[in-house]
Amino acid sequence: MSTTPEPVPSRLDPEPVPRRDFLGIASLCSTAAALLFAGIGMLRLPKAAVLSSPSKRFRVTLPESLAEGEAYIPPGRSIALFRDEEGVFAISLVCTHLGCIVSSIPDGFECACHGSRFDPDGGVMKGPAPTALPWHRVTKSEDEFIVDEEEIVPMGTRVSL
Amino acid sequence: MSESPRKNSALRDFGANLIKSPQRILRSAMRSGSPTTDRTRSEFVFGNVFLHIHPVRTHRWSLRWATTWGLGTASAAAFLIALVTGVLLMFYYKPYPEVAYDSIKDIHFVVPTGRFIRNIHRWSANVMVVAVLLHMVRAFYTGAYRSPREFNWLIGLGLLIVTLGLSFTGYLLPWDQLAYWAITIGANIAQSPREVTDAVGITEVFDPGGLQRQLLLGSDIVGEEALIRFYLLHVMILPLMLVILMAVHFWRIRKDGGLTRPDDVDDRLGPPPPDTYPVFTEAPAKTYHLAAIVRGRTSAVGQGPENTVPSMPHLFYAELGVLMVTVFICVALAIVSDAPLKELANPAVPENPAKAPWYFLGLQEMVSFSAFMGGVGIPTIVVIGLGLIPFLDRERQGTGESFGGPGGKKLVLESAVIGLALVIGLEAFAIRFGWLREWYPEIPQWVITAVNPGTILASLYALYSLWLIRRYNSARAGAMGLFTCFLCGFVVLTIIGSYFRGPNWDFYWSPAEWPLH
Amino acid sequence: MNRNKHLLLWSSIGTLGLLIVAAVQENILKDWRRIQAAASTIDGPIDVRLRQVISPDLKITDRCVSCHVGMAPGEEPAVDGPTLATTTHPPVVHDPGEFGCTVCHGGQGRATDMADAHGDVPHWPHPMIPLQYAQAGCGTCHTHVQVPRTERLEEGERLIARYDCFSCHRIDGRGGTLRPGGVGGMEGPDLSYAGAAGHDPQWYAKHLQQHEAAEDGVWKDSFGPIPDDDLRTIDNYIASRVGAPRLVKAKALFHSLGCRGCHKIDGVGSNDGPDLTRAGDMDPLFVDFSYVEGPHTIARWHEEHLRDPAKIVPGSLMPNFGLNDDQIELLTLYLMSLRRSPHPEAYWPKDRILAERFGEREFGTDGGTLYGTFCAACHGDSGQGVRYPDTVPFPSVSNPDFLAVASDQFLIDSIRTGRPGRRMPGWNEMLGGLRDEEIEELVRYLRETGGVKAPEVDRTEPRWVSADWEFGRRLYDNHCGSCHGPEGEGTEAPQLSNVAFLAAADDTYLFETIARGRRGTPMPGYRSGSPIHPALTDAEIEALVAYLRTWEK
Repeated sequence: MSTTPEPVPSRLDPEPVPRRDFLGIASLCSTAAALLFAGIGMLRLPKAAVLSSPSKRFRVTLPESLAEGEAYIPPGRSIALFRDEEGVFAISLVCTHLGCIVSSIPDGFECACHGSRFDPDGGVMKGPAPTALPWHRVTKSEDEFIVDEEEIVPMGTRVSL
Repeated sequence: MSESPRKNSALRDFGANLIKSPQRILRSAMRSGSPTTDRTRSEFVFGNVFLHIHPVRTHRWSLRWATTWGLGTASAAAFLIALVTGVLLMFYYKPYPEVAYDSIKDIHFVVPTGRFIRNIHRWSANVMVVAVLLHMVRAFYTGAYRSPREFNWLIGLGLLIVTLGLSFTGYLLPWDQLAYWAITIGANIAQSPREVTDAVGITEVFDPGGLQRQLLLGSDIVGEEALIRFYLLHVMILPLMLVILMAVHFWRIRKDGGLTRPDDVDDRLGPPPPDTYPVFTEAPAKTYHLAAIVRGRTSAVGQGPENTVPSMPHLFYAELGVLMVTVFICVALAIVSDAPLKELANPAVPENPAKAPWYFLGLQEMVSFSAFMGGVGIPTIVVIGLGLIPFLDRERQGTGESFGGPGGKKLVLESAVIGLALVIGLEAFAIRFGWLREWYPEIPQWVITAVNPGTILASLYALYSLWLIRRYNSARAGAMGLFTCFLCGFVVLTIIGSYFRGPNWDFYWSPAEWPLH
Repeated sequence: MNRNKHLLLWSSIGTLGLLIVAAVQENILKDWRRIQAAASTIDGPIDVRLRQVISPDLKITDRCVSCHVGMAPGEEPAVDGPTLATTTHPPVVHDPGEFGCTVCHGGQGRATDMADAHGDVPHWPHPMIPLQYAQAGCGTCHTHVQVPRTERLEEGERLIARYDCFSCHRIDGRGGTLRPGGVGGMEGPDLSYAGAAGHDPQWYAKHLQQHEAAEDGVWKDSFGPIPDDDLRTIDNYIASRVGAPRLVKAKALFHSLGCRGCHKIDGVGSNDGPDLTRAGDMDPLFVDFSYVEGPHTIARWHEEHLRDPAKIVPGSLMPNFGLNDDQIELLTLYLMSLRRSPHPEAYWPKDRILAERFGEREFGTDGGTLYGTFCAACHGDSGQGVRYPDTVPFPSVSNPDFLAVASDQFLIDSIRTGRPGRRMPGWNEMLGGLRDEEIEELVRYLRETGGVKAPEVDRTEPRWVSADWEFGRRLYDNHCGSCHGPEGEGTEAPQLSNVAFLAAADDTYLFETIARGRRGTPMPGYRSGSPIHPALTDAEIEALVAYLRTWEK
């Protein structure tokens, strides 16, 4: 049906591209740019801008009967409060190895997951834990204490009674 | 010592291969070279799992804008957009009452790009419904449902229903007032066959309506069970059905011989542009092999699949173009208008007016007269009627042409005028003078159930269409008249439901006139 | 082919453009971003990020602090930047870091745009409480109890000043100041929150001890014995110091105007007007703002409605009380405080537990406050009776002639059952929600303000009249029907055919009322004649009573 003049090109030959296909290339590039931009925007979505966990600062009233060296764990929190003559302090119960909750034992803390042991001040005694259990800021407000789980204070910091 | 050089050379090869491997990974992925020759272009298409559903060569008629207006591609593109944005929304959406509402609030206010993506999701769903509807309209008016494409028309009908189902199930998920009450109404429409079983008195033993509602809600109220069911339908069952139907739909397009073309397509297209690359330059004789694998008319021996161009890149430019236009439309709408989110669902206080998504408002208008006929009876009749079209119209005249067939454009115009006049007249009458129960308060319920303005309208349309069949001595003419009338009815009822109905489903000239509660 | 390339090119360029617009809107133009970007603390610029207060127990997620950065808990307040970033929250009892913002202020905590967050959007049911009415937020959780009427509250305030309590104590920012030559101020504790925290009931005895032990100094000069009556008023005043003086003042005004005579709150009050239990938390969508000028807010609606009820709600039965601007503001504040959001019981304050679990009253249960809370709107602030346009006159209950013939039992029964079919509702626990001892207290108060003791009971039999009622009817038609109605249905004068009235009134009451009349009202005494009516004999009056009794069945 073709009325093209001789010679007929072979279908295996490259098609004679009309000089430079600026339009085609530009359209493909802009499409790629638009989709890339959209893709980057969409990739931002899974990273949450705010976390839905409750406030890390909470109030706690220590029971009168709390003995020295005895841990008081506020319900629902993974933090232990202690009282001694010098004052009140809070030690995190989250194992610094892989985040299990350590349990308080008479001579310190022990992690059930991989056997880390900590001394009563939270220092590592044994096991894979890389660092000591962090201490958190405690402030006194009338007869309550405010614990801030976000703020870490140097080991040994206490709030006096 | 003779072995050491070989060891060394193996090490060298290892290094060289390591350096070359990125290039080789790329080449092994591409299989064929750059698509410049006919062969490499063909390989580009059938060597790629995503592209091989396309034909290697595309008819020039199919690439005309006016052949399809890209509506099928736009529907698929809108689905793709809804799919991507929907998956993203699933990162944050929690399908539990109240929590769901809060999670949508969070998506709206704090999730990075969340609000925008939710808007796009909402708009792409709307664009998809519009595109699917228009695609069906286009297919009808070009006679594309005719043999051998009857079955694909049915698949398309299925796709339309699944699309509406997807939209409807998505409506409940935000768990706001709008959602809650639209779904309450929808679930009760599903229950409305009870009107019939009640009238016959067999509800005790046979209750398909109650079963439907119970299956939909998983309870007797719209609650957490309903939400999880709608969620499952929306994110899993219906998309899966849609994808399967889409695959069949696309596959059938190819197996049924591509897009519909008029018989005299070559004359209509005229000679190919001078730079068209020929198909058969070497062996133009054996063409029936090619023709034998597609159904439909066999190309005459000695002729190539003339008037075709390689799909790569011609078809792909067109498809990409439609995709990007669809993206553009969705994004533009998403910037201009936020997806709605009203107050938290309150099962004690109905939203007034409680409106379903816009494409159901025509139904809701009919439902306001009687639930079963408006919500189940007439839609069922319409769907069955649409499905039967290809099996009743066995003619060939006008296939592939816009408004092809006896009567043509003139007939469509006439039907549109009659269809509009009938629906507007009937609605105006019902709004002005009320309906059966206003006149005869004692009237039995089965009359109310059966005699809906929609029933009257459908009957009038059917009569008109039968008259057309006689007048033109053509089933196609009847089908065109009926389809046009129903289209007018759908559009007018939808507009009335959307704009002219206010609280208590009373008539208002504009929403500005709605009384405050 | 080129057409498709153009299509692709322009649509993709357009899409890219729109995406850039969206990205700019999202990442640069957000209000909270701009505010935070402009703010800095002494340590330098602050982090630009969303801030929030979350309490799962209270079900709050408040992102208000993303713009009001200065109020973000646990952060150094900004020293430089937009006002929103530098303004800190005034000191309050409730730590915003724990309770969030929306619990007290309303609004939409999850939102991060101003209009949405402040709730000024059509679909948000809990818009912010205007700052002017901020104390109304206390009503979300608190039910301040035993709030007296204005008169008593002001009396308490006067007494506090008179007895020189301010020399040592600070109350609502007043007093406790350094005295010249003294030992510095604030020797006594701050009493601004004494009502919420509770105060030592033995304070007076202890103070007196100190006073008697002291040789000289403040204890000697500034404290002295206080009479019992004043002591009760002072105690009541101190108990009302809950840190929200304006709200208490507003509630006291509500307890002076007799609003509960028509409106129920928490089941106490009458049903003539709408229940006000959630008046401060109405969904704006369900409120008719057609006649409200100015912004369509709930507070504005209440203001306008109090100014002229019939203008805002056409056909409203509520009379226009001619309130002044300050009263309107106070009442609006009180109405806005009627919120009662469903917070978990663990968070309920003492006063709410007292009110909802132990039946403690919101209103003071002294006679004066009870009268002010329930009766004053109709019977007048001092019992003189009121007549509103288009209503029948409400009778005077402090009329000495009335009190002289009405027995205590008659008053109690009348208050308990009311006058069915008339405006006077019944007030017993089933109907109006008042307890018997409160009704007795009301009667005691009526006696006290009227200055008239209960009549001596001279007959043991309440129904002693036996006379010819036919004769009584003729007398009634001649002398009584013109005011009390031909069938005793009451037109200008009270209804006599009321079953509850006749049940409560004994024969002596009826007889004596006809015989003595009511001074200050059109009801004449028939024992002695006057130019417009003849004198009736005892027998004739008895016949009248007998006729009235025929309506009892």
